[in-house]
Amino acid sequence: MPWVTDIHPEKTELDSCVQCGLCLPVCPTFRLTGRETASPRGRLQAMSAVDQGVAVVDETFARIIDFCLGCRACEPVCPGLVPYGRTLEGARAEIDAQLPDRERQLSFLLGRVVPSRRLLDLATGLLRLAQSVGLIRLVPARMRRMVGGVRSLWGRGRATLGHAGGSGVSGSVGLLVGCVQDEWFRPVNRAAVTLLELAGHRVEAPVAQTCCGALAAHAGKSEIAARLAERNVSALSGYDQVVATAAGCSAHLAGYAHWGGASLAGRAVDVTVMVSEAIRSGRLPQVDGDRGPIAVQDPCHLRHAQRVTREPRRILEAAGYEVVEIDPAGMCCGAAGLYTMLQPEASSRLGAQKAAQVRTTGLTRVASANPGCEMQLRTHLGDDYEIAHPIEWYLRALQSGG
Amino acid sequence: MDLVTDLRVALGVDNVLVEPLELYLFSKDASLMRGEPHVVVFPQDTTQVAEVVRIAETHGVPIVPRGAGTGLTAGASPTVGGIVLVTTALDTIEIDADNRTAWVGAGVINLDLSRAAGPYGLYFAPDPSSQSACTVGGNVANNSGGPHCLAEGSTTSHVLGLEVVLTGGEVVILGSQAPDPPGLDLKGLIVGSEGTLGVVTKVLVRLLPIDPEVRTLLMGFAETAGATTTVSEVIASGLVPAALEIMDQRLIVAVENWLHAGLPVDAAAMLLAEVTGEAEGVDSQAEVISTIARANGATSIEVAATPEHRELLWKGRKSAFGATAQLAPDYYLHDAVVPRTRLAETMAAIYEIADRSQLTLVNVFHAGDGNLHPLIAFDASDPLVSERVYRAGEEIVAVCLRNGGALSGEHGIGVEKRDLMRAAFSELDLDAQARLKEVFDPSRVFNPTKVLPAGSRCFDYGGVRRPAADGVWV
Ligand SMILES: Cc1cc2nc3c(=O)[nH]c(=O)nc-3n(C[C@H](O)[C@H](O)[C@H](O)COP(=O)(O)OP(=O)(O)OC[C@H]3O[C@@H](n4cnc5c(N)ncnc54)[C@H](O)[C@@H]3O)c2cc1C
Ligand code: SF4
Ligand code: SF4
Repeated sequence: MPWVTDIHPEKTELDSCVQCGLCLPVCPTFRLTGRETASPRGRLQAMSAVDQGVAVVDETFARIIDFCLGCRACEPVCPGLVPYGRTLEGARAEIDAQLPDRERQLSFLLGRVVPSRRLLDLATGLLRLAQSVGLIRLVPARMRRMVGGVRSLWGRGRATLGHAGGSGVSGSVGLLVGCVQDEWFRPVNRAAVTLLELAGHRVEAPVAQTCCGALAAHAGKSEIAARLAERNVSALSGYDQVVATAAGCSAHLAGYAHWGGASLAGRAVDVTVMVSEAIRSGRLPQVDGDRGPIAVQDPCHLRHAQRVTREPRRILEAAGYEVVEIDPAGMCCGAAGLYTMLQPEASSRLGAQKAAQVRTTGLTRVASANPGCEMQLRTHLGDDYEIAHPIEWYLRALQSGG
Repeated sequence: MDLVTDLRVALGVDNVLVEPLELYLFSKDASLMRGEPHVVVFPQDTTQVAEVVRIAETHGVPIVPRGAGTGLTAGASPTVGGIVLVTTALDTIEIDADNRTAWVGAGVINLDLSRAAGPYGLYFAPDPSSQSACTVGGNVANNSGGPHCLAEGSTTSHVLGLEVVLTGGEVVILGSQAPDPPGLDLKGLIVGSEGTLGVVTKVLVRLLPIDPEVRTLLMGFAETAGATTTVSEVIASGLVPAALEIMDQRLIVAVENWLHAGLPVDAAAMLLAEVTGEAEGVDSQAEVISTIARANGATSIEVAATPEHRELLWKGRKSAFGATAQLAPDYYLHDAVVPRTRLAETMAAIYEIADRSQLTLVNVFHAGDGNLHPLIAFDASDPLVSERVYRAGEEIVAVCLRNGGALSGEHGIGVEKRDLMRAAFSELDLDAQARLKEVFDPSRVFNPTKVLPAGSRCFDYGGVRRPAADGVWV
């Protein structure tokens, strides 16, 4: 048996690819290189080669798989319904299991720091200090690429973890606050609480929850991912819906069936879907007034993984903004979880591309529904641009009174 | 120096792949047949392509040009090894809007060209269903067609000139802006030659103005014959629609399952028709088509309401081959052309062959051109099934040829259809083609063993006989 884990890519999954090549042009890494070795079809063939015993899990295999963003742009265009994202998680887990010496620090980061509120608080405190005294230079280069685009951490309000409130006439919501989301993007969580309660939901963010495990799963740390999923499944049981405010988290929750959490997966919803639905059914208002144009960026884990594109736009329109598209193809911005850190060159080329798309609109207001994308945009656009989550733009419009 | 070192010196280490797993990913195209490349190279410009040709000739190693690898006949599969030369880095686009032409690199993706021409109100007419992925170089090499080639003709009608690297690494420009330049039409020879005469590096294409109006009709029929008869009657009425495409029920269901476009899943066949031109014209043409369809028993007729709806319908049509993955892991596809008037009887005969052979056969095709794409979905890991697939394939081709048809409408011959060439051409025809190949490729490096069956010339063309053991049919 060429595979050693029980989540390896399955033959039936791999066989569903007929190698038609229709996924090539939407794949950012294929676009950067023009090479089959960096295409979805190529990666699936590499997995098939291992499955058939033609190849083994070695450094070459790892290099081919490592370069993938996990953006899943290859999924919606695939008429064969190949579950690429699933096979990718399997391949990453195999690499981690069979080549254990690679990226060992990652295990510590993803297994210990990120799921630990205490360590994350500590790291955030240090980052805030670095921000305030302009010492961001002291952050190690590899990390700096990721955190350079973090919002100012001053005045971000109370943590949402532990929050409970709202009437519940529209049903109950378990809020997954996310690991870095609640530390670095707290206003998004606060906006979610305010809006969902306004829409009649009971909103609770139980303290027993933890990081969703997406970063770990995408890095092949399957044991960590499974452990985190287990905790969340029990912490977030009993709510009508489980809502995440980061597209990366909601997409991962929706795929929990692969991590032993089918019961949660069916109830997982991205916050943009909840808010848009509340606006559509009149539980949240249309805000009067014309607020001018805003550029909208689609996070891959919303657009490709969950096929959610209308909702963020509906929210912005209900807030009185005119939505301006930046990229009909919805190409990845290169943030992609830890990609910024692990594949800095490709990540920064994609980031620069995305920034250029924003600049051509001439607009300085941007809506993005995922923290990773927001940081990447800020890194590549600079501080003159105002980037926030669609529900934040909506809440701002609502508060400024329509 | 050895081959790889020579290539590395010429192209740089990064542009030469030698790791077995990496090579494996270039071992086939979208067909079933796999080869084994010795090395894969990514030349960055014409000069580097010429270098590769010289190196290949020095070492006596074949060159297999490869665009996007969406070919369906193993043309880009290195079935006898050699250098796989990937053209994707040849990606320049220079548009001359005034003259409605463009010089484009062979590696430019077909749809990217039309997107780049869009702001000038222009587009590149050949639109193979794979147009979002396939390259202009691949289109030229296979003289590819597409749904909209019914009115506008296949790739060859849109190529004005070519930059080609020939034997000895000689770079020539064939053809020109002038519609009919003096001298022999050598460019016409290269178009459709499937990489067997040289490597195309740049293409001077003709661009067409985007039509002001378009109407797209989706019609469902309870009987396949109703759809095919509609097609021949529409053409007989004197209309020249932009496209007339038929898809049968199994594929309608598979595509709908993925796309959710509201396709008529209960219909035995659907006909997708498109007319273009000025507003008044298109409405009356759409009316003519609807009337004919109704007379032939159409059960549903719908006109795409928005540009998005139209796009969705075409996306469904153009992804149909891929959707067969939902039916079985492998497909084997023919590309025969029959006269339009004989579509109905040919289709009936093809379905009968499949039923008799107990095979799942689906059809999605350019009905306006009579260009059938009977596709057998099967599992290649079962040798008994594979044998039946192969037999049925031969029978299908025989029926098409008997009904006055041709072997290939647009996908080319490659290796998959190579040995069927004998059924379509006489010894004399094949010998003439083999002589031509000798003139262009004396050192026999350009995509050998493709197109012409072994023994087309008096000597054996270095070819394997049908590699039945591990090839297409299996
Ligand atoms: C889903 C799907 C739908 C398709 N629909 C159609 C269709 O509607 N109509 C149609 O005609 N075809 C269709 N095809 C077949 C295929 O896409 C076309 O033949 C296409 O033109 C191939 O382009 P490519 O870049 O992928 O070429 P490849 O597959 O890479 O190569 C094809 C052939 O061209 C040669 N070649 C490539 N580039 C060069 C070059 N620069 N110089 C010399 N030789 C070269 C190769 O050696 C090979 O023989 C379809 C394929 C798929 C998978
Ligand atoms: S589109 Fe789907 S079936 Fe086609 S090559 Fe890509 S993954 Fe395979
Ligand atoms: S997930 Fe993104 S980067 Fe990876 S193969 Fe698919 S499209 Fe390419």
